[in-house]
Amino acid sequence: MGVTFLQRRPDSGLGNVRSSPGDPSRNIDWVLMVTQVALAVIGCFIVFSASRTRIVEDPYAFVTRQVVFGIIAAVVMFAVMSVDYEWLKERATFFYGLTLVILSLLFIVGLVNDRDRISFDFGPFNFQPAEMAKFTTLLVLAAYLADERSDEVSYPRFLGGLLLVGAPAVLVILQPDLGSASVLISIAMGVLLVAGAKPKYIALISVLSLSTVASAFISRLVNQYQIERLRVFVDQSTTDPELQDSVYQVRNAVRAVGTGGLWGKGWLNGPLTNGRDIPVMWADFPFAAVGEQFGLVGCSALLFLFVVALARIWRIASLSRDLLGTYLCAGVFTMVLWQLFQNVGMTLGIMPVTGLPMPFVSYGGSSLITYFALFGIVQSVHMRRMR
Amino acid sequence: MAVDKRAARLGILALVGVILFSLIGVRLWFLQTVRADDLQERTTAAKTRIVPLLPERGRIFDVEGRILAGNKRILTVGVDWQLLRKGSDREEIFRRLSGWVGVPIEVMQARYDAKIDSPFLPMPVARDVSEEVALALLERIEDFPGVSVLKEWERVYPYAPHAAHVVGYMGAITKEQKDEYLAQNYVLSERVGQFGVELSMESVLHGEWGKRVYEVDAAERPVRLIEEVPPIDGFDVQLTIDLDVQQYAEQALETTLEVRRNLPLEDQAPNPEVLKPDGDREKMDPALPDFVPYKAPAASAVVMDYSNGHVMALASYPTFDNRWFEAGLSSDKFKQIFPDTKDPDLSILVNRAVQGRYNMGSTFKPFTAYAALHTGLITPEELFNDVGEYRMHSVNQDRCDAGLVRCVYKNATCKGTGRPCRYGPVNVTDALAISSDSFFYRVGEDIMVRNAMGPVLQEQVELFGFGSDTGIDLPFEFDGTVPDRELKRRYAELGIISEDEGRNYYAGDNVQLAIGQGLLSATPLQLAVGYATIANQGFVFRPQIVKAIWNSGVPDGEPGEVDFSRGTIHESFDDPDLIRQVEMPGEVRLPIVDGLRRVVTPGAGVESDFYHHTTGENLFFDYPDEAIQIAGKTGTAQGAGNFPWNDSSVFTGFSIDETQPYVVTAYLEKSGYGSQAAAPVVKCTFLALSGITVMDPVVQSDPLDLNSRRAAPSMELADTSCYNARGGGIGTNE
Repeated sequence: MGVTFLQRRPDSGLGNVRSSPGDPSRNIDWVLMVTQVALAVIGCFIVFSASRTRIVEDPYAFVTRQVVFGIIAAVVMFAVMSVDYEWLKERATFFYGLTLVILSLLFIVGLVNDRDRISFDFGPFNFQPAEMAKFTTLLVLAAYLADERSDEVSYPRFLGGLLLVGAPAVLVILQPDLGSASVLISIAMGVLLVAGAKPKYIALISVLSLSTVASAFISRLVNQYQIERLRVFVDQSTTDPELQDSVYQVRNAVRAVGTGGLWGKGWLNGPLTNGRDIPVMWADFPFAAVGEQFGLVGCSALLFLFVVALARIWRIASLSRDLLGTYLCAGVFTMVLWQLFQNVGMTLGIMPVTGLPMPFVSYGGSSLITYFALFGIVQSVHMRRMR
Repeated sequence: MAVDKRAARLGILALVGVILFSLIGVRLWFLQTVRADDLQERTTAAKTRIVPLLPERGRIFDVEGRILAGNKRILTVGVDWQLLRKGSDREEIFRRLSGWVGVPIEVMQARYDAKIDSPFLPMPVARDVSEEVALALLERIEDFPGVSVLKEWERVYPYAPHAAHVVGYMGAITKEQKDEYLAQNYVLSERVGQFGVELSMESVLHGEWGKRVYEVDAAERPVRLIEEVPPIDGFDVQLTIDLDVQQYAEQALETTLEVRRNLPLEDQAPNPEVLKPDGDREKMDPALPDFVPYKAPAASAVVMDYSNGHVMALASYPTFDNRWFEAGLSSDKFKQIFPDTKDPDLSILVNRAVQGRYNMGSTFKPFTAYAALHTGLITPEELFNDVGEYRMHSVNQDRCDAGLVRCVYKNATCKGTGRPCRYGPVNVTDALAISSDSFFYRVGEDIMVRNAMGPVLQEQVELFGFGSDTGIDLPFEFDGTVPDRELKRRYAELGIISEDEGRNYYAGDNVQLAIGQGLLSATPLQLAVGYATIANQGFVFRPQIVKAIWNSGVPDGEPGEVDFSRGTIHESFDDPDLIRQVEMPGEVRLPIVDGLRRVVTPGAGVESDFYHHTTGENLFFDYPDEAIQIAGKTGTAQGAGNFPWNDSSVFTGFSIDETQPYVVTAYLEKSGYGSQAAAPVVKCTFLALSGITVMDPVVQSDPLDLNSRRAAPSMELADTSCYNARGGGIGTNE
């Protein structure tokens, strides 16, 4: 292993004779890389515009941290890129086990403290194990299914895969973080689909996850605010005073996007973005800030970047030399697609509100690092496709 | 490995991606183009908050500037609605405030639930708190989040209960008024005029709400003042009412009623034996004793300037203190003071001078006389032989004799003979002086029969304003009725008269109308306007209660008064408002005025079987020459069952000196003959207007006694010497 691509010397006139065309360092997908960096940079600007009025003493508080997270994420990404994903596969079980331990620990700490069990609080930063779970669950699931070396997923292996996803998913639901759980399920769906699970298996997953969510609601495992959000989604014009905060949030998000019109109100000129109308906008509703400030044109541009990224990932999935690479890319593809749709959808009022951040754009270290790491794996697959 | 299968499955994934992106794209396009303007509008509205600014209500003055209705600054404790949204927070805030402001939690909660208060103003939890409490709350504001102290106005009536029916009172906006007031930008929690000038001049007095428009942040905190429109205070209203005269009239009414209620036995209403159809003689009401006390429950009086229609006094009894309506009474207490009653005698919150539906009795005769003279039915000199009763000639005499139709109408009974008075040959002037019914019965029949059964009498008296409201700026005015075919038909439909009776308008109805009985009804104010028209030679003026509208903020003068010399007039109503002019040639007017003059002139009666005095001469025997010289007419309106104790007493007099152009009408219900109750009130009032009787000075009233059970304290005339009549004091039966 090693960060060999960083040690590459500039080509001399004769070409770099020390590196072959198959050298991983020469096969980085720069389109994906640039797209991803562009998204992260845009994210910093959006986070700044959405958060600068919230902390009067330091308008840069959030964006500064986001930049720091970005740097850390970049480092993590390069580390992931530099190792062969086969190497990661060999350690997948370990990472996965670690994730389960941390999730359980979080659950126990939460029980003791009787509060939300979504993150560990480490002073200035808090760490969301659910984000880590996205990475490790994808890894372990892809590795497990790739071992089958077949065109179709057998029933026992399907059940095994289901258990692998189910364990962290249940722990995440118990946090309760339905959004992240839905992402884990989307991973399972994507990977299983590409691995050749029969349609009825996919249907089974759907039924299982829906019934899990339903039972979480019925058993009151979920928080009050989640019930409220769902009720608001069902009836967006409700006048129930208890629901007004949730109604308010969604209504203002939709208004922010709508009032942006075609061209938007301009950078830092969005009244709803500048006001305090949308709680936690920098993390939950960055798309509303984009919509208000940059309008339909800006939103389309941002979405186009995601399309480019997804297209590249899809391409890498097709180009992969082995099943593992394809599965990994398929998982990342589904995850990004689902999370983006969920986040933008709730901003536009066509999905219920969850705390799912927008990949790369939303404020949040755990999310940013996870996505950089996931894209690192995708790059890793691309880099080593010629081997 | 089948690569094509993998590609196909990846294709499904891509397809899902395309679908989801399309969904987002369509929704985005919809929001940012189709709905962009609409959302912008809603967002702008949501980002601003309007704080209404309260205008000061205009005040109401009497003609001299005495403040009949004014305003007092009060402090109101309110709570921000935001903090009341959650039930638990609300309870906590109410619990904390309750002790401080002395309002029970349940009352606050009820007010919250009533949802009548403006969402843009803090919810008022306690009105009129002391400055100490307000300060204490503000000092501890961290314990009372969202609590604020607002300055508001409270209506005050410094001279209550004088002119209470004219000034009126305020009340909450009712369900029926809600839409109308909201359309005029009122706030639902406002109090508005509900009676009197407070109601009729509401739009003038109210002023306009101002507003402050703030941009607010998500926490509803004001960020920036966008717009400020200062409130426009209401105009001040100067009435034509002269509070001195008003007070005098009120005192005279109440004192006279009191006297009429407590007459010695022999002066009470007789319950004479009458011949029943079956031939027996028994008392009119066998259940009652020989003499029945007058109930004298209610009365009203009008004093008006007939040269311009300005109303100087408009009194109605029983009266009330309008401060009760500002005292925040419980509904129980309110019902104790203003009992729900079906008995019209007891109604307090009705201005009888403009709302009373009264029979006018003989006071109507001058208008019948006018009709007869003006249409040429009679000449001033024409004599009619009054034999005590009148037999109709236009009815089939057989039907008369058979008793199928009432053909014979009698004069009032003469006390001396116990039979209908016989006045002998009388002309129209004599007939008015001694109030000959037969003379006018004949006019009633002939004016119809000789005019092809047409409504000539109706048309003539309607010229004076009977049958339609006068248009005075007071609410709920009664139109009055002049009976004709149409009215009878309507009454029959309503079941007021029998269907049989309602079939047609007969000459007999006209006979009744001629002496002001039957279905004729009018208000005392209408009667005053009618007499004013005779007095001023034919001008029907709209009676006016508002003299001028002043720009708000007329400076204070003496205590309880404003100084008009330092104010500015917005609109003046000094010029009379002429409704119509009635032809009033001397040959028509003079015989009538002469007759009315003789009513109050000693020795102006007629001789026939014996000397018949005029209806007013005994009362006016001592009327001094230096007083305003008047003409007038008594009336006795028969009440239920034609029992004497149900007779209502009415009198109108007017000055024959056009430099002191007053017309005074008094109507005292169930109080006896016109000369016994109403005429003394009018006599006393003219003596007061002449300056011969000294009127009590008007003083600001004592604070309202909240423990009282009466709507208004009693009033009394200081000097009752004006009651003197020849042959005894007030109330002596002639």
